[in-house]
Amino acid sequence: MFLAFHEMKRAKVRFGLLTGAVGLLVFLILFQQTLLSGLVNQFIGALKNQSGEVLVYNDQARKNLEGSIILPEQLAQIQLVEGVADAAPLGEATFTVTAGGQERDTVIIGYELGRAGAPTTLITGRLPTADDQAVASEKDTADGYGLGDVIRVQPDGAQITVVGIARDINYSVSPVLFVDFATYESAKRTRNPDAERILPSAVAIHVVAGASANQVVERINATVAGVEAMTRQQAIDGSPGVSSVRSSFAVILALFYLVVPLVTGLFFLIVTFQKASALTLLRAIGAPAKVLVRSLLVQVVVITLAGSVVAFGLYAGALQGVKNLGVHVEVMPAVQTSLVVLALALATSLVAIRRVLRIDPIAATTGAGVTL
Amino acid sequence: MNLLPRLPLRELRRTPNRFVVATVVLAFLSTLLLFLGGLLDGLYLGSTGAIRSQQADVLVFSSSARDSFLRSRITPELRTQVEAVPGVTEVGGLGFVLLGAQVPGQTELADVAVAGYELAPKGVPATALDGQGVADSRLQDQGVSKGDTILVGPAATPITITGFVDDTGYLLQGSVWVNLSTWRMVQNANRPDSAVTDGVVQALVVRGAGTHAALAGAIDAASSGATKSLTLDEAVLALPGVKQQRDTFNQIIYTTLAVVLAVVGLFFSLLTLERIGLYGVLKAIGATTKRLFIGVLLQALIIATISFIIGSGLAMAAAAALPAKVPLQLIPSRFISTFIGLLVAAILGSAISLRRVTKVEPASAIGSVS
Repeated sequence: MFLAFHEMKRAKVRFGLLTGAVGLLVFLILFQQTLLSGLVNQFIGALKNQSGEVLVYNDQARKNLEGSIILPEQLAQIQLVEGVADAAPLGEATFTVTAGGQERDTVIIGYELGRAGAPTTLITGRLPTADDQAVASEKDTADGYGLGDVIRVQPDGAQITVVGIARDINYSVSPVLFVDFATYESAKRTRNPDAERILPSAVAIHVVAGASANQVVERINATVAGVEAMTRQQAIDGSPGVSSVRSSFAVILALFYLVVPLVTGLFFLIVTFQKASALTLLRAIGAPAKVLVRSLLVQVVVITLAGSVVAFGLYAGALQGVKNLGVHVEVMPAVQTSLVVLALALATSLVAIRRVLRIDPIAATTGAGVTL
Repeated sequence: MNLLPRLPLRELRRTPNRFVVATVVLAFLSTLLLFLGGLLDGLYLGSTGAIRSQQADVLVFSSSARDSFLRSRITPELRTQVEAVPGVTEVGGLGFVLLGAQVPGQTELADVAVAGYELAPKGVPATALDGQGVADSRLQDQGVSKGDTILVGPAATPITITGFVDDTGYLLQGSVWVNLSTWRMVQNANRPDSAVTDGVVQALVVRGAGTHAALAGAIDAASSGATKSLTLDEAVLALPGVKQQRDTFNQIIYTTLAVVLAVVGLFFSLLTLERIGLYGVLKAIGATTKRLFIGVLLQALIIATISFIIGSGLAMAAAAALPAKVPLQLIPSRFISTFIGLLVAAILGSAISLRRVTKVEPASAIGSVS
């Protein structure tokens, strides 16, 4: 222990640089993990936290809610499928609204009150009971989407009052208002007076008690032409953006997890090479190999933990810049990531440990160190 | 003394093991930088091509659209006002609709953006016949060939592809450039809630005299605020997510470059420590600090170059192995900028050793060469 700390104290720049490098790498891992979960939640929160266990899109929509329309005859056929307890229209579109005195992009989701498609994570207030009432997302309350706030659809459209706040109901990284279907229709006509008819984007389904959502999905896909039924989770996983964001970030994170232990392993390997003569001498005067190995491990742990602390500071600061994703500084994921990085760093330091164990004390009498 | 500059090269050649780990780490970091840059480029180029290819001075949206094509609506009356603005020489309508398309011989639907135009973007014919269109070349990857008739949207509206054009993607979907009447037909048949009457378009492509900013200002003033005019660059950044993606990825890229700098700095400062005695000898026989530092620098640049070559190979292999849904696009300019970034980081990183090389005393050579 004494050796480990004494060496670190006397080589501040060397260990400082390593701590900085590990800190930056761990920060990038933490930041990207948070960015990924934030982005995914912001993309599909509204789908995840609505009450329909099954969602049905037009089969031409490629699982994109914004690109889907359901024809009246398709809705009628879906209602007749065995296992369907309630099949309700669900509309989704992005609008320009005035909220908090500013024009903003807002996704409006229309559902039939009391039926499938209602938000499920209400934390304050109540669900809409009439036209021009909405449930908004907790994340956007400070931007003019708070309880009692009035939001106006542009240009000069419906004035919607927020009557409830729900958690994690954003969609396409935009604020969301869950309203009744008639209010959604009215907003659509405000945006486009030429609209011929307002069709639902999808159908939200409650399955009968005891029935399996997967079976209902299979039955709908087998019997109703031109639609694609999915369980809620399938709809989330298939949403445009989600799968590509997940696979892109998976590769980036894998590379980062590879680089951190390599950097740490590289450092301690070189340091061990450099200290070869001193380590040989220590072995020759009776220092057991386990003392030297312990000293090395202590340094790996201290550097990785110090780097993690640096990373946490950077991470907490960086999250202030992406508050719009609704992400918060959380300690547990940071601790978990740091522990994974520590385990990987300890694993790569095995190469340096092997070198230490190979030191032959007799070499001290010949003046030679360990061979590279 | 003439042999001195050869020393660093000889060391690299004779003791390559000493440099292997640093090279491997930097190679992974190069792959990471190229991958991040490739994703950024893929997202940016795939989303914005349809706007970047416009031969326009400004694009005009309705003011309540918040710069979104899909929410913008320009009526014939508004268009007349824009056409009357002094300095405006040409005005054309523009509209997009995002749909799935059935491609002959393919089981999977293709993602298309049917784009209606009057003033042709770069590479697109000046006019198009009803029911015919020129497709973005990315649709070839989804099985679209010249002469195919694709069936667009739930209404299966037919469009015959007469040719291809590069780099005109819109929001990561392949554009199909058609005339305005075909676009209206597709829009009204497949999206009745977004139907448009004759003469209505989503945006205007405007060519004119004077600066772009002045032209945009004059148009918005003439329409009494009913329009919002953007230059092409502004319109590109106004596309959903483009600016946010660019800012986020650039932050990650710059932080990764800082890590590269720290790794190079770390490696060469350790290596310099190891060679203090050797430097003492070299200084004792007349080597200058400058020459010694050039040696360190040369090694850093060689390692960075080798790492970059390996990293590029890994990035290209990853790009080939990844599914098409990952919008990775490796372009020559990204390779060049990454290489320059690596070299700069290598130079700055190796400069950390400069202080130590400067402080080496020739006297240390006497009896202390390790």
